[in-house]
Amino acid sequence: MRREVAIISYAQTPYEPDANASREMQVLRVAKAALAAAGLKQEDRYTVVTANNDYCDGRTISNMRLVEPAAAWMKNESKAEMDGAYAALYGLLRILSGDHDIALIIGESQASVYARWLPGIMMMDPTFDRQRWLLNEVSAAALQARAYMNAFGVSEEQVAGVAAKNLDNAALNPLAGNKLAGADAAKVLGSRKLYEPISEMMVAQYCDGACAMVIAAGELAEKAEKPVWIRGVGFAHDSYLTERSLEEMGSLKLAAEKAYAMAGISDPASQVDLAEVHENFAHEELMAYEALGFCGRGEGGAFFDSGATRRDGKLPVNTSGGAIGANVACATGLARIIEAAMQIRGEAGDHQVAKAKTAVATGQTGPCAQESVVFVLGGE
Amino acid sequence: MGPGIEIGQVPRASLPINPTFQWSVGNWMDRFYDGLKEGKLWASKCPGCGRVHLPPRMVCERCFTKCEEWVELPETGTVQSYTVAHVKVGANGEFEELPQPEVIALVKQDGADTCVAARLEGGNASVGMKVKVVIDPEAENFVNMLAGYRPAE
Repeated sequence: MRREVAIISYAQTPYEPDANASREMQVLRVAKAALAAAGLKQEDRYTVVTANNDYCDGRTISNMRLVEPAAAWMKNESKAEMDGAYAALYGLLRILSGDHDIALIIGESQASVYARWLPGIMMMDPTFDRQRWLLNEVSAAALQARAYMNAFGVSEEQVAGVAAKNLDNAALNPLAGNKLAGADAAKVLGSRKLYEPISEMMVAQYCDGACAMVIAAGELAEKAEKPVWIRGVGFAHDSYLTERSLEEMGSLKLAAEKAYAMAGISDPASQVDLAEVHENFAHEELMAYEALGFCGRGEGGAFFDSGATRRDGKLPVNTSGGAIGANVACATGLARIIEAAMQIRGEAGDHQVAKAKTAVATGQTGPCAQESVVFVLGGE
Repeated sequence: MGPGIEIGQVPRASLPINPTFQWSVGNWMDRFYDGLKEGKLWASKCPGCGRVHLPPRMVCERCFTKCEEWVELPETGTVQSYTVAHVKVGANGEFEELPQPEVIALVKQDGADTCVAARLEGGNASVGMKVKVVIDPEAENFVNMLAGYRPAE
Protein backbone atom coordinates (compact mmCIF):
# COMPACT_ATOMS: atom_id res chain seq x y z
CA MET A 1 0.00 0.00 0.00
CA ARG A 2 1.39 3.42 -0.96
CA ARG A 3 0.21 4.96 2.32
CA GLU A 4 -0.70 3.44 5.67
CA VAL A 5 -4.47 3.87 5.97
CA ALA A 6 -6.45 2.98 9.08
CA ILE A 7 -10.07 2.65 10.13
CA ILE A 8 -10.44 5.27 12.89
CA SER A 9 -14.11 5.09 13.86
CA TYR A 10 -17.47 3.63 12.89
CA ALA A 11 -21.16 3.69 13.73
CA GLN A 12 -24.16 1.58 12.81
CA THR A 13 -27.91 1.95 13.30
CA PRO A 14 -29.90 -1.07 14.40
CA TYR A 15 -30.89 -3.06 11.32
CA GLU A 16 -34.61 -3.78 11.25
CA PRO A 17 -37.38 -4.53 8.75
CA ASP A 18 -38.93 -1.10 9.26
CA ALA A 19 -36.90 1.48 11.17
CA ASN A 20 -39.85 3.87 11.10
CA ALA A 21 -37.31 6.58 10.39
CA SER A 22 -36.35 8.71 7.42
CA ARG A 23 -33.10 7.72 5.73
CA GLU A 24 -31.82 11.25 6.35
CA MET A 25 -32.15 10.74 10.12
CA GLN A 26 -30.51 7.33 9.92
CA VAL A 27 -27.57 8.79 7.99
CA LEU A 28 -27.35 11.78 10.34
CA ARG A 29 -27.07 9.45 13.33
CA VAL A 30 -24.22 7.38 11.98
CA ALA A 31 -22.37 10.28 10.33
CA LYS A 32 -22.45 12.35 13.55
CA ALA A 33 -21.39 9.39 15.67
CA ALA A 34 -18.53 8.34 13.36
CA LEU A 35 -17.18 11.89 12.97
CA ALA A 36 -17.43 12.54 16.73
CA ALA A 37 -15.63 9.29 17.57
CA ALA A 38 -12.85 10.30 15.18
CA GLY A 39 -12.61 13.74 16.81
CA LEU A 40 -13.70 15.45 13.60
CA LYS A 41 -15.98 18.42 12.93
CA GLN A 42 -17.74 19.38 9.73
CA GLU A 43 -15.30 22.23 9.14
CA ASP A 44 -12.38 19.78 9.03
CA ARG A 45 -11.02 18.68 5.69
CA TYR A 46 -12.25 15.25 4.58
CA THR A 47 -13.78 13.57 1.55
CA VAL A 48 -17.16 11.78 1.61
CA VAL A 49 -18.23 8.68 -0.30
CA THR A 50 -21.73 7.30 0.15
CA ALA A 51 -23.21 4.05 -1.14
CA ASN A 52 -26.85 4.14 -2.15
CA ASN A 53 -29.05 3.20 -5.05
CA ASP A 54 -31.36 5.32 -7.18
CA TYR A 55 -33.87 2.55 -7.61
CA CYS A 56 -34.00 1.65 -3.91
CA ASP A 57 -34.28 5.27 -2.88
CA GLY A 58 -36.85 6.09 -5.56
CA ARG A 59 -34.97 9.08 -6.95
CA THR A 60 -32.17 9.67 -9.38
CA ILE A 61 -28.88 10.92 -7.97
CA SER A 62 -29.95 9.37 -4.69
CA ASN A 63 -27.11 11.02 -2.76
CA MET A 64 -28.39 14.50 -3.64
CA ARG A 65 -30.31 15.16 -0.42
CA LEU A 66 -27.83 13.19 1.64
CA VAL A 67 -25.38 16.06 1.37
CA GLU A 68 -26.79 17.57 4.60
CA PRO A 69 -26.91 14.52 6.92
CA ALA A 70 -23.70 13.12 5.43
CA ALA A 71 -21.81 16.26 6.47
CA ALA A 72 -20.84 16.65 2.82
CA TRP A 73 -21.90 20.22 2.04
CA MET A 74 -19.30 21.84 -0.21
CA LYS A 75 -17.03 18.84 0.28
CA ASN A 76 -15.42 16.53 -2.24
CA GLU A 77 -18.38 14.08 -2.27
CA SER A 78 -19.69 11.37 -4.55
CA LYS A 79 -21.39 8.01 -4.33
CA ALA A 80 -20.95 4.39 -5.28
CA GLU A 81 -24.19 2.96 -6.69
CA MET A 82 -23.07 -0.38 -5.33
CA ASP A 83 -22.37 -2.20 -2.12
CA GLY A 84 -20.91 -0.07 0.67
CA ALA A 85 -17.59 -1.91 0.54
CA TYR A 86 -17.08 -0.13 -2.79
CA ALA A 87 -17.63 3.23 -1.10
CA ALA A 88 -14.87 2.20 1.33
CA LEU A 89 -12.70 1.23 -1.63
CA TYR A 90 -13.21 4.59 -3.38
CA GLY A 91 -12.52 6.48 -0.16
CA LEU A 92 -9.34 4.46 0.27
CA LEU A 93 -8.28 5.26 -3.31
CA ARG A 94 -8.77 8.99 -2.69
CA ILE A 95 -6.51 8.79 0.34
CA LEU A 96 -3.94 6.71 -1.55
CA SER A 97 -3.91 9.40 -4.26
CA GLY A 98 -2.41 11.73 -1.64
CA ASP A 99 -5.07 14.41 -2.17
CA HIS A 100 -6.95 13.51 0.99
CA ASP A 101 -5.98 12.23 4.42
CA ILE A 102 -9.46 11.50 5.75
CA ALA A 103 -12.58 9.91 4.25
CA LEU A 104 -16.08 9.52 5.69
CA ILE A 105 -17.78 6.43 4.22
CA ILE A 106 -21.54 5.87 4.48
CA GLY A 107 -23.88 3.10 3.29
CA GLU A 108 -27.66 3.13 3.54
CA SER A 109 -31.02 2.00 2.20
CA GLN A 110 -34.50 1.20 3.43
CA ALA A 111 -36.25 -2.00 2.39
CA SER A 112 -39.45 -0.66 3.97
CA VAL A 113 -39.56 1.92 1.19
CA TYR A 114 -38.82 0.04 -2.05
CA ALA A 115 -40.64 -2.98 -3.50
CA ARG A 116 -38.38 -5.65 -2.03
CA TRP A 117 -37.45 -7.92 -4.94
CA LEU A 118 -37.99 -5.53 -7.87
CA PRO A 119 -34.58 -3.81 -7.83
CA GLY A 120 -32.97 -7.23 -8.37
CA ILE A 121 -35.10 -7.84 -11.44
CA MET A 122 -33.98 -4.45 -12.76
CA MET A 123 -30.40 -5.80 -12.68
CA MET A 124 -31.21 -8.45 -15.27
CA ASP A 125 -30.62 -8.14 -19.03
CA PRO A 126 -33.31 -5.63 -20.13
CA THR A 127 -33.56 -7.07 -23.65
CA PHE A 128 -34.29 -10.63 -22.50
CA ASP A 129 -34.20 -11.86 -18.89
CA ARG A 130 -35.85 -8.86 -17.28
CA GLN A 131 -38.81 -9.06 -19.65
CA ARG A 132 -39.28 -12.79 -19.12
CA TRP A 133 -39.62 -12.37 -15.32
CA LEU A 134 -37.98 -15.73 -14.49
CA LEU A 135 -34.70 -14.40 -13.09
CA ASN A 136 -34.59 -12.40 -9.89
CA GLU A 137 -31.96 -12.32 -7.16
CA VAL A 138 -33.31 -15.45 -5.49
CA SER A 139 -34.02 -17.58 -8.57
CA ALA A 140 -30.60 -16.65 -9.97
CA ALA A 141 -28.97 -17.56 -6.65
CA ALA A 142 -30.85 -20.88 -6.68
CA LEU A 143 -29.31 -21.68 -10.08
CA GLN A 144 -25.88 -20.94 -8.62
CA ALA A 145 -26.59 -22.95 -5.47
CA ARG A 146 -27.64 -26.01 -7.51
CA ALA A 147 -24.65 -25.71 -9.85
CA TYR A 148 -22.25 -25.48 -6.91
CA MET A 149 -23.88 -28.20 -4.81
CA ASN A 150 -24.11 -30.56 -7.77
CA ALA A 151 -20.48 -30.00 -8.78
CA PHE A 152 -19.05 -30.72 -5.35
CA GLY A 153 -21.64 -32.88 -3.56
CA VAL A 154 -22.59 -30.17 -1.08
CA SER A 155 -25.79 -31.07 0.81
CA GLU A 156 -28.86 -28.99 1.60
CA GLU A 157 -28.15 -29.69 5.28
CA GLN A 158 -24.74 -28.03 4.96
CA VAL A 159 -26.25 -24.96 3.28
CA ALA A 160 -29.01 -24.80 5.89
CA GLY A 161 -26.38 -25.19 8.60
CA VAL A 162 -24.70 -21.96 7.49
CA ALA A 163 -28.00 -20.08 7.74
CA ALA A 164 -28.61 -21.57 11.19
CA LYS A 165 -25.10 -20.59 12.34
CA ASN A 166 -25.55 -17.00 11.19
CA LEU A 167 -29.06 -16.64 12.66
CA ASP A 168 -27.73 -18.00 15.95
CA ASN A 169 -24.71 -15.67 15.84
CA ALA A 170 -27.03 -12.73 15.11
CA ALA A 171 -28.82 -13.42 18.39
CA LEU A 172 -25.68 -12.09 20.14
CA ASN A 173 -25.53 -8.97 17.97
CA PRO A 174 -27.84 -6.27 19.35
CA LEU A 175 -27.94 -4.48 15.98
CA ALA A 176 -28.97 -7.50 13.87
CA GLY A 177 -32.66 -7.64 13.02
CA ASN A 178 -32.92 -11.21 11.74
CA LYS A 179 -31.92 -13.59 14.51
CA LEU A 180 -32.84 -16.92 16.07
CA ALA A 181 -30.90 -18.29 19.03
CA GLY A 182 -30.44 -22.03 18.73
CA ALA A 183 -31.49 -22.17 15.07
CA ASP A 184 -30.73 -25.51 13.42
CA ALA A 185 -30.60 -26.86 9.89
CA ALA A 186 -33.94 -28.66 10.21
CA LYS A 187 -35.69 -25.41 11.07
CA VAL A 188 -34.10 -23.68 8.07
CA LEU A 189 -34.99 -26.54 5.71
CA GLY A 190 -38.58 -26.41 6.96
CA SER A 191 -39.01 -22.72 6.16
CA ARG A 192 -41.03 -21.54 3.16
CA LYS A 193 -39.76 -22.96 -0.14
CA LEU A 194 -38.92 -20.19 -2.60
CA TYR A 195 -36.67 -21.50 -5.35
CA GLU A 196 -35.21 -24.92 -4.52
CA PRO A 197 -32.73 -25.49 -2.99
CA ILE A 198 -33.28 -22.06 -1.41
CA SER A 199 -35.82 -21.67 1.37
CA GLU A 200 -36.75 -18.43 3.07
CA MET A 201 -34.37 -18.71 6.04
CA MET A 202 -31.37 -19.15 3.72
CA VAL A 203 -31.98 -15.65 2.31
CA ALA A 204 -30.40 -12.49 3.67
CA GLN A 205 -33.66 -10.56 4.04
CA TYR A 206 -33.44 -6.88 3.17
CA CYS A 207 -34.02 -4.38 5.95
CA ASP A 208 -33.55 -0.70 6.87
CA GLY A 209 -30.37 0.82 8.20
CA ALA A 210 -27.22 2.86 7.75
CA CYS A 211 -23.59 2.64 8.79
CA ALA A 212 -20.60 4.95 8.60
CA MET A 213 -16.85 4.67 8.96
CA VAL A 214 -13.95 7.12 9.04
CA ILE A 215 -10.66 6.04 7.45
CA ALA A 216 -7.50 8.10 7.53
CA ALA A 217 -3.81 8.32 6.78
CA GLY A 218 -1.26 10.70 8.24
CA GLU A 219 -1.65 12.50 11.56
CA LEU A 220 -5.15 11.29 12.43
CA ALA A 221 -4.15 7.66 11.84
CA GLU A 222 -0.88 7.99 13.75
CA LYS A 223 -2.58 9.56 16.78
CA ALA A 224 -5.59 7.21 16.79
CA GLU A 225 -6.02 5.09 19.91
CA LYS A 226 -6.87 1.79 18.28
CA PRO A 227 -6.31 2.10 14.54
CA VAL A 228 -7.30 -0.86 12.39
CA TRP A 229 -4.95 -0.86 9.44
CA ILE A 230 -6.06 -1.67 5.91
CA ARG A 231 -3.35 -4.15 4.89
CA GLY A 232 -4.70 -5.15 1.52
CA VAL A 233 -7.57 -4.62 -0.87
CA GLY A 234 -8.67 -6.27 -4.10
CA PHE A 235 -11.66 -6.09 -6.39
CA ALA A 236 -12.83 -7.79 -9.57
CA HIS A 237 -15.81 -7.90 -11.90
CA ASP A 238 -16.98 -11.18 -13.48
CA SER A 239 -19.44 -11.89 -16.32
CA TYR A 240 -23.23 -11.62 -16.21
CA LEU A 241 -24.59 -14.71 -14.48
CA THR A 242 -25.68 -16.65 -17.59
CA GLU A 243 -22.29 -16.16 -19.21
CA ARG A 244 -19.96 -17.74 -16.63
CA SER A 245 -19.53 -20.90 -14.62
CA LEU A 246 -21.62 -20.59 -11.47
CA GLU A 247 -19.70 -23.32 -9.65
CA GLU A 248 -17.30 -20.86 -8.07
CA MET A 249 -17.13 -17.20 -7.10
CA GLY A 250 -14.61 -16.05 -9.68
CA SER A 251 -14.64 -12.35 -8.84
CA LEU A 252 -14.25 -13.01 -5.11
CA LYS A 253 -11.37 -15.42 -5.72
CA LEU A 254 -9.47 -12.92 -7.86
CA ALA A 255 -10.19 -10.04 -5.47
CA ALA A 256 -8.93 -12.14 -2.56
CA GLU A 257 -5.74 -13.09 -4.37
CA LYS A 258 -4.97 -9.42 -5.01
CA ALA A 259 -5.77 -8.38 -1.43
CA TYR A 260 -3.68 -11.21 0.05
CA ALA A 261 -0.71 -10.36 -2.19
CA MET A 262 -0.87 -6.75 -0.99
CA ALA A 263 -1.16 -7.83 2.65
CA GLY A 264 1.63 -10.39 2.41
CA ILE A 265 -0.68 -13.30 3.17
CA SER A 266 0.40 -16.56 1.56
CA ASP A 267 -1.65 -19.04 3.60
CA PRO A 268 -5.01 -17.45 4.46
CA ALA A 269 -6.28 -20.57 6.27
CA SER A 270 -3.61 -20.13 8.95
CA GLN A 271 -2.94 -16.37 8.75
CA VAL A 272 -6.51 -15.07 8.86
CA ASP A 273 -8.15 -15.10 12.30
CA LEU A 274 -11.67 -14.06 11.37
CA ALA A 275 -13.83 -13.20 8.38
CA GLU A 276 -16.96 -11.16 7.82
CA VAL A 277 -18.39 -12.31 4.51
CA HIS A 278 -21.18 -10.64 2.53
CA GLU A 279 -23.37 -13.70 1.92
CA ASN A 280 -26.69 -12.81 0.31
CA PHE A 281 -27.61 -16.50 0.58
CA ALA A 282 -26.32 -19.29 2.83
CA HIS A 283 -24.61 -21.23 0.03
CA GLU A 284 -22.59 -18.13 -0.87
CA GLU A 285 -20.76 -18.38 2.44
CA LEU A 286 -19.64 -21.93 1.62
CA MET A 287 -18.48 -20.74 -1.80
CA ALA A 288 -16.69 -17.82 -0.15
CA TYR A 289 -14.69 -20.18 2.09
CA GLU A 290 -13.22 -21.59 -1.11
CA ALA A 291 -12.75 -18.28 -2.94
CA LEU A 292 -11.04 -16.79 0.12
CA GLY A 293 -8.66 -19.74 0.32
CA PHE A 294 -9.84 -20.96 3.72
CA CYS A 295 -10.19 -24.45 2.19
CA GLY A 296 -9.67 -26.08 -1.18
CA ARG A 297 -11.98 -25.94 -4.19
CA GLY A 298 -15.17 -27.89 -3.53
CA GLU A 299 -14.35 -28.30 0.17
CA GLY A 300 -16.65 -25.57 1.51
CA GLY A 301 -19.19 -28.02 2.90
CA ALA A 302 -16.60 -30.15 4.65
CA PHE A 303 -14.88 -27.03 6.01
CA PHE A 304 -18.19 -25.90 7.50
CA ASP A 305 -18.78 -29.38 9.00
CA SER A 306 -15.36 -29.16 10.70
CA GLY A 307 -16.75 -26.35 12.87
CA ALA A 308 -13.89 -24.04 11.90
CA THR A 309 -16.19 -21.15 11.04
CA ARG A 310 -18.30 -21.25 14.21
CA ARG A 311 -17.86 -18.59 16.92
CA ASP A 312 -15.43 -20.83 18.80
CA GLY A 313 -13.77 -22.26 15.68
CA LYS A 314 -10.28 -21.60 14.40
CA LEU A 315 -11.54 -19.21 11.70
CA PRO A 316 -14.90 -17.76 12.75
CA VAL A 317 -16.99 -16.42 9.86
CA ASN A 318 -19.83 -13.95 10.31
CA THR A 319 -19.87 -13.90 14.09
CA SER A 320 -22.06 -10.81 13.67
CA GLY A 321 -24.69 -12.90 11.90
CA GLY A 322 -23.48 -11.69 8.51
CA ALA A 323 -25.89 -10.51 5.85
CA ILE A 324 -28.38 -13.18 6.92
CA GLY A 325 -28.49 -11.39 10.28
CA ALA A 326 -28.92 -7.96 8.71
CA ASN A 327 -28.95 -7.05 5.03
CA VAL A 328 -29.17 -3.41 4.03
CA ALA A 329 -28.67 -3.00 0.30
CA CYS A 330 -25.65 -0.71 -0.25
CA ALA A 331 -24.57 -1.00 3.40
CA THR A 332 -24.02 -4.73 3.98
CA GLY A 333 -20.41 -4.96 2.74
CA LEU A 334 -19.46 -1.81 4.64
CA ALA A 335 -21.04 -3.33 7.77
CA ARG A 336 -18.82 -6.41 7.21
CA ILE A 337 -15.72 -4.15 7.26
CA ILE A 338 -16.99 -2.38 10.38
CA GLU A 339 -17.75 -5.67 12.15
CA ALA A 340 -14.29 -7.01 11.30
CA ALA A 341 -12.73 -3.80 12.64
CA MET A 342 -14.83 -4.09 15.81
CA GLN A 343 -13.45 -7.58 16.36
CA ILE A 344 -9.86 -6.40 15.94
CA ARG A 345 -10.45 -3.57 18.41
CA GLY A 346 -12.14 -5.91 20.87
CA GLU A 347 -15.36 -3.90 20.73
CA ALA A 348 -17.72 -6.60 19.44
CA GLY A 349 -19.41 -7.20 22.79
CA ASP A 350 -21.25 -10.50 23.13
CA HIS A 351 -20.06 -11.73 19.74
CA GLN A 352 -16.39 -10.87 20.34
CA VAL A 353 -14.01 -13.74 19.48
CA ALA A 354 -10.86 -14.55 21.44
CA LYS A 355 -8.30 -13.86 18.73
CA ALA A 356 -8.83 -11.36 15.94
CA LYS A 357 -5.53 -9.87 14.88
CA THR A 358 -5.97 -10.27 11.14
CA ALA A 359 -9.43 -10.19 9.59
CA VAL A 360 -10.95 -10.37 6.13
CA ALA A 361 -14.14 -8.56 5.06
CA THR A 362 -15.94 -8.85 1.73
CA GLY A 363 -18.62 -7.00 -0.20
CA GLN A 364 -20.49 -7.89 -3.37
CA THR A 365 -22.75 -6.36 -5.99
CA GLY A 366 -24.76 -7.90 -8.81
CA PRO A 367 -26.57 -11.20 -9.33
CA CYS A 368 -24.67 -14.27 -8.11
CA ALA A 369 -21.86 -12.12 -6.67
CA GLN A 370 -20.86 -10.73 -10.06
CA GLU A 371 -18.56 -8.13 -8.50
CA SER A 372 -16.55 -8.54 -5.33
CA VAL A 373 -14.27 -6.51 -3.10
CA VAL A 374 -12.03 -7.86 -0.36
CA PHE A 375 -10.41 -5.98 2.52
CA VAL A 376 -7.66 -7.42 4.72
CA LEU A 377 -7.49 -5.65 8.08
CA GLY A 378 -4.96 -5.82 10.87
CA GLY A 379 -4.40 -4.42 14.35
CA GLU A 380 -1.19 -3.04 15.76
CA MET B 1 -26.62 4.90 19.95
CA GLY B 2 -26.09 8.26 18.30
CA PRO B 3 -25.70 11.64 19.96
CA GLY B 4 -29.25 12.27 21.06
CA ILE B 5 -31.02 12.19 17.72
CA GLU B 6 -34.58 11.01 18.24
CA ILE B 7 -36.31 8.94 15.63
CA GLY B 8 -40.04 9.18 15.88
CA GLN B 9 -43.09 8.16 13.92
CA VAL B 10 -42.59 8.86 10.25
CA PRO B 11 -45.81 9.66 8.39
CA ARG B 12 -46.00 7.47 5.33
CA ALA B 13 -47.95 8.35 2.24
CA SER B 14 -47.79 6.91 -1.25
CA LEU B 15 -46.09 9.35 -3.61
CA PRO B 16 -46.20 7.46 -6.90
CA ILE B 17 -44.18 8.23 -9.99
CA ASN B 18 -44.14 5.88 -12.95
CA PRO B 19 -41.48 6.76 -15.49
CA THR B 20 -41.63 4.87 -18.81
CA PHE B 21 -38.53 3.67 -20.63
CA GLN B 22 -38.23 2.95 -24.33
CA TRP B 23 -35.45 0.40 -24.56
CA SER B 24 -34.41 -0.80 -27.97
CA VAL B 25 -33.47 -4.46 -28.12
CA GLY B 26 -30.70 -3.42 -30.51
CA ASN B 27 -29.64 -4.92 -33.83
CA TRP B 28 -28.18 -8.11 -32.34
CA MET B 29 -31.21 -9.07 -30.27
CA ASP B 30 -33.43 -7.97 -33.18
CA ARG B 31 -31.78 -10.61 -35.34
CA PHE B 32 -32.22 -13.15 -32.51
CA TYR B 33 -35.94 -12.42 -32.26
CA ASP B 34 -36.35 -12.39 -36.08
CA GLY B 35 -34.75 -15.85 -36.14
CA LEU B 36 -37.17 -17.17 -33.52
CA LYS B 37 -40.06 -16.05 -35.75
CA GLU B 38 -38.74 -18.56 -38.30
CA GLY B 39 -38.08 -21.21 -35.66
CA LYS B 40 -34.31 -20.63 -35.76
CA LEU B 41 -31.70 -19.91 -33.09
CA TRP B 42 -29.11 -17.35 -34.12
CA ALA B 43 -26.09 -16.74 -31.90
CA SER B 44 -23.27 -14.22 -32.26
CA LYS B 45 -19.68 -15.43 -32.45
CA CYS B 46 -16.50 -13.64 -31.45
CA PRO B 47 -14.08 -13.44 -34.37
CA GLY B 48 -11.20 -13.36 -31.87
CA CYS B 49 -11.73 -16.33 -29.55
CA GLY B 50 -14.69 -18.05 -31.20
CA ARG B 51 -16.88 -17.65 -28.10
CA VAL B 52 -20.52 -18.17 -29.11
CA HIS B 53 -23.14 -16.08 -27.29
CA LEU B 54 -26.78 -17.11 -26.96
CA PRO B 55 -28.65 -14.79 -26.53
CA PRO B 56 -26.32 -12.90 -28.88
CA ARG B 57 -24.01 -10.26 -27.41
CA MET B 58 -22.54 -7.40 -29.41
CA VAL B 59 -19.16 -7.36 -27.68
CA CYS B 60 -17.01 -10.26 -26.48
CA GLU B 61 -15.92 -9.56 -22.92
CA ARG B 62 -12.92 -11.85 -23.29
CA CYS B 63 -11.51 -10.20 -26.43
CA PHE B 64 -12.88 -6.65 -26.28
CA THR B 65 -14.02 -7.33 -29.84
CA LYS B 66 -17.28 -6.75 -31.70
CA CYS B 67 -19.02 -10.04 -32.50
CA GLU B 68 -19.83 -9.66 -36.19
CA GLU B 69 -20.17 -13.37 -37.04
CA TRP B 70 -23.42 -15.31 -36.76
CA VAL B 71 -24.01 -19.03 -36.30
CA GLU B 72 -27.25 -20.99 -36.34
CA LEU B 73 -27.45 -23.41 -33.41
CA PRO B 74 -29.18 -26.80 -33.25
CA GLU B 75 -32.31 -27.33 -31.16
CA THR B 76 -30.48 -29.43 -28.56
CA GLY B 77 -28.78 -28.35 -25.38
CA THR B 78 -27.74 -29.44 -21.88
CA VAL B 79 -29.06 -28.38 -18.49
CA GLN B 80 -26.25 -26.67 -16.54
CA SER B 81 -28.38 -25.95 -13.48
CA TYR B 82 -32.03 -25.65 -12.51
CA THR B 83 -34.36 -24.58 -9.74
CA VAL B 84 -37.89 -25.65 -8.83
CA ALA B 85 -39.76 -22.39 -8.45
CA HIS B 86 -42.54 -22.27 -5.86
CA VAL B 87 -43.03 -18.53 -6.11
CA LYS B 88 -42.74 -15.57 -8.43
CA VAL B 89 -42.21 -11.90 -7.75
CA GLY B 90 -45.53 -10.05 -7.78
CA ALA B 91 -46.08 -6.49 -8.96
CA ASN B 92 -45.63 -5.28 -5.37
CA GLY B 93 -42.15 -6.81 -5.20
CA GLU B 94 -43.11 -9.60 -2.77
CA PHE B 95 -43.12 -13.32 -3.49
CA GLU B 96 -46.45 -14.91 -4.32
CA GLU B 97 -47.11 -18.65 -4.54
CA LEU B 98 -47.34 -20.24 -7.98
CA PRO B 99 -50.43 -22.44 -8.51
CA GLN B 100 -48.03 -25.24 -9.53
CA PRO B 101 -44.26 -25.34 -9.01
CA GLU B 102 -42.31 -24.93 -12.25
CA VAL B 103 -38.74 -25.70 -13.28
CA ILE B 104 -36.46 -22.88 -14.40
CA ALA B 105 -33.36 -24.25 -16.08
CA LEU B 106 -30.06 -22.79 -17.16
CA VAL B 107 -29.42 -24.39 -20.55
CA LYS B 108 -26.28 -24.34 -22.66
CA GLN B 109 -27.33 -24.80 -26.27
CA ASP B 110 -25.07 -27.19 -28.19
CA GLY B 111 -22.44 -25.02 -29.85
CA ALA B 112 -22.90 -22.09 -27.44
CA ASP B 113 -20.61 -20.93 -24.64
CA THR B 114 -23.23 -19.01 -22.66
CA CYS B 115 -26.57 -20.04 -21.17
CA VAL B 116 -30.26 -19.26 -21.47
CA ALA B 117 -32.56 -19.20 -18.44
CA ALA B 118 -35.94 -20.65 -19.43
CA ARG B 119 -38.81 -22.85 -18.25
CA LEU B 120 -38.29 -26.59 -18.56
CA GLU B 121 -41.38 -28.71 -19.29
CA GLY B 122 -42.04 -32.10 -17.78
CA GLY B 123 -41.50 -31.46 -14.09
CA ASN B 124 -38.19 -33.31 -13.82
CA ALA B 125 -34.72 -31.87 -14.14
CA SER B 126 -31.14 -32.84 -13.51
CA VAL B 127 -27.80 -31.27 -14.25
CA GLY B 128 -26.47 -32.74 -17.50
CA MET B 129 -29.94 -33.55 -18.83
CA LYS B 130 -30.32 -33.29 -22.61
CA VAL B 131 -33.10 -30.95 -23.72
CA LYS B 132 -34.63 -29.47 -26.87
CA VAL B 133 -35.69 -25.87 -27.32
CA VAL B 134 -39.38 -25.00 -27.63
CA ILE B 135 -39.96 -22.05 -29.92
CA ASP B 136 -43.31 -20.30 -30.15
CA PRO B 137 -43.28 -17.76 -33.00
CA GLU B 138 -46.86 -16.82 -32.08
CA ALA B 139 -46.01 -15.84 -28.47
CA GLU B 140 -48.10 -12.91 -27.28
CA ASN B 141 -44.97 -11.12 -26.08
CA PHE B 142 -42.08 -11.50 -28.52
CA VAL B 143 -39.53 -11.91 -25.68
CA ASN B 144 -41.20 -15.27 -24.93
CA MET B 145 -40.81 -16.74 -28.43
CA LEU B 146 -38.02 -18.80 -26.89
CA ALA B 147 -40.73 -20.43 -24.80
CA GLY B 148 -38.56 -22.92 -22.97
CA TYR B 149 -37.15 -26.43 -23.19
CA ARG B 150 -38.44 -30.01 -23.05
CA PRO B 151 -36.60 -33.25 -22.34
CA ALA B 152 -34.81 -34.53 -25.48
CA GLU B 153 -35.92 -38.14 -24.90
